[in-house]
Amino acid sequence: MKIKIKTYLWSGIIMGLFSLFMLVMMPSQVRLPMFDSGAPSPRIIPGVCLVGMLICSVILIIESLIFKKEKVMEFDWAKEKPCIILILMLCVFVALTIYIGFIPAVCIVFPVMLFYCGERKPFIYIFTVAAGIGIFFLFKYVFHISLPGIPGLGG
Amino acid sequence: MSDLQFIVPAIAQVFSLTNLTLIFGGLVLGMIVGCIPGLSVTLGIILLLPLTYSFSSPDSAIIALLAVYVGGMYGGSISAITLNTPGTNSAIATTFDGYPLAKQGKVKKALDTSLFASVFGGLFSAILLLVCASFITKLVSRFASVEYFSMAILGISLIAGVSGDSLAKGILSGLLGILMAAIGTDAVTGVWRYTFGIDSLRYGIDMLPAMIALIALTQVVQKLRDFILAEGKLDDANKIDNEGLTGKEMKSILPACTRSSVIASILGAMPGVGGGVAQFMCYNECRRASKHPEQFGKGSLEGIAAAESSNNAVVGSAMIPLLTLGIPGDGVTALLLGAFILHGIQPGPNMFSKQGVIAYSIIIGCLVANIFLYPIGLALTRAVAKIVQVRYTYLAPVIIIFCFAGAFAATGNTKELVLTAAILIFSYFLVVLDISSTPLMLGMILADIMEMNFVTSMMSYDKDYLIFFKRPISCVILILTVVLVVSMLRINKRIEALNQEQMEEMQKEHEA
Repeated sequence: MKIKIKTYLWSGIIMGLFSLFMLVMMPSQVRLPMFDSGAPSPRIIPGVCLVGMLICSVILIIESLIFKKEKVMEFDWAKEKPCIILILMLCVFVALTIYIGFIPAVCIVFPVMLFYCGERKPFIYIFTVAAGIGIFFLFKYVFHISLPGIPGLGG
Repeated sequence: MSDLQFIVPAIAQVFSLTNLTLIFGGLVLGMIVGCIPGLSVTLGIILLLPLTYSFSSPDSAIIALLAVYVGGMYGGSISAITLNTPGTNSAIATTFDGYPLAKQGKVKKALDTSLFASVFGGLFSAILLLVCASFITKLVSRFASVEYFSMAILGISLIAGVSGDSLAKGILSGLLGILMAAIGTDAVTGVWRYTFGIDSLRYGIDMLPAMIALIALTQVVQKLRDFILAEGKLDDANKIDNEGLTGKEMKSILPACTRSSVIASILGAMPGVGGGVAQFMCYNECRRASKHPEQFGKGSLEGIAAAESSNNAVVGSAMIPLLTLGIPGDGVTALLLGAFILHGIQPGPNMFSKQGVIAYSIIIGCLVANIFLYPIGLALTRAVAKIVQVRYTYLAPVIIIFCFAGAFAATGNTKELVLTAAILIFSYFLVVLDISSTPLMLGMILADIMEMNFVTSMMSYDKDYLIFFKRPISCVILILTVVLVVSMLRINKRIEALNQEQMEEMQKEHEA
């Protein structure tokens, strides 16, 4: 499955809608301080950014629709599927790290990832898991940063 | 005299055992990441950045990162010569002559030429940095918060203007970066901004996890995808022989090295022009000036020297606007600016007066890294070249694990891991929409400097929003921003067209 994406047009539409949404949400999401400290409003910087983004989005849409300036990207599902699956695996890795700890997450997710990449030799699996454990202890004892440990067993 | 006060202790600082070891380690790491196609110097810097948290002295951290930059620029040529695949963008022109020479069985000669030219270019620009830095900072020493705010605007605009083929997309990306940095508690008023009731967002988005997700993880995931699509096949690398560069040959490439270093140093000091752009102009110019232009593209030593001295000359010269004005020249220097901020250093004119020893330690560190590159390159190139042949599935999981551990190290909170994963998804979305993440990253890095100086200016001048136009220097900077963005866009288009033409021509000659 191949989808041709008009990047100017879609960037304009998506970012335009996003900036409009954020501008509408501004009064509830960035409240004004109760008293004047002499500092400028906390809404200025995000406000300027959002208005600027909205203008850029409109320019992109105009460039695409009126001036026919466009860059078309072909989204080939067959080529992009591995990328999306790898990103999903990394999201699972993050979830597992939080709930069962760093080392168990490494032991589960990365062997699955290597299998998906077509690796079948056992040594590469052992190497990866050992590297994960090594990094855990490197951070713990050398940099004094405790990565999430197994719940109940501590760092 | 006052500069010498800083330079003397800075020399002593750089030549400490710790810093020399860090330079050695940084150069080797840079050579490794630089020589692996698909990975880049930025990845090397990001991998090392979390580790530098434990360093007691900030200048040691920056020196180590700079060594990665220097090593990475040379490392890119190793795979360009042995595999015909440039390790980094800056080594594309090296393939034009490096690979043909390697095909003639003269791999060592090609590698030695590349090393010599890299060291020459690097030293040239490092000396330029040492000479110019103090002079420029004296010129801009009277800057106040108003001017700093305008400088931040200049920095973001220039990078946004030259990233990719659309100015609107570049600016949009830069503004998105500033917006992302604004999320969380406002430092002055204490108001929450765009937290949507999520507790983790109250503390904002930390720079390090964002950089890791936007640059390192995106790169590794894409490279791993290519590995899967290629079913794990590796290119055949040329074996390295023993015939190195002779003294006579070294002398013959000196004019090409000098010409290339001068051009690249000028181009490198201009924000937005990286080694990738400089190499083609230098290659073209050296071919034009050569006594044997017909040999270019067929394994000419001058051709390799032109390409390699240019990309290493960019390293030192790109540091000139970063150290003196606080404006990063390209993606790598933007990352270095992030590293400076994470280590509590504010680059700019004040750095030379308030943290003079640190400033000069960094400059001298850059110089020493370039000197060390020669013996280290001679001794380790053969070993590093073998890493190109290591299956990527050995490296990728280790890099990914390291990235997540590094992201966690930013604050020691698991929210950083969640943010990293979320930004990774967002980064992929940007790739699909063809929006460059470099301006976004720069926006995030410069946002704090910008907002802090904006707030200070507003409080000092009683919320006079026109003060940025009333103060002459600030007004000049803002006008310069517009003029530079427009002219840089034009120049960039011309250079791109020239590069494209040059590349196609070279590839045709190469294939023939």
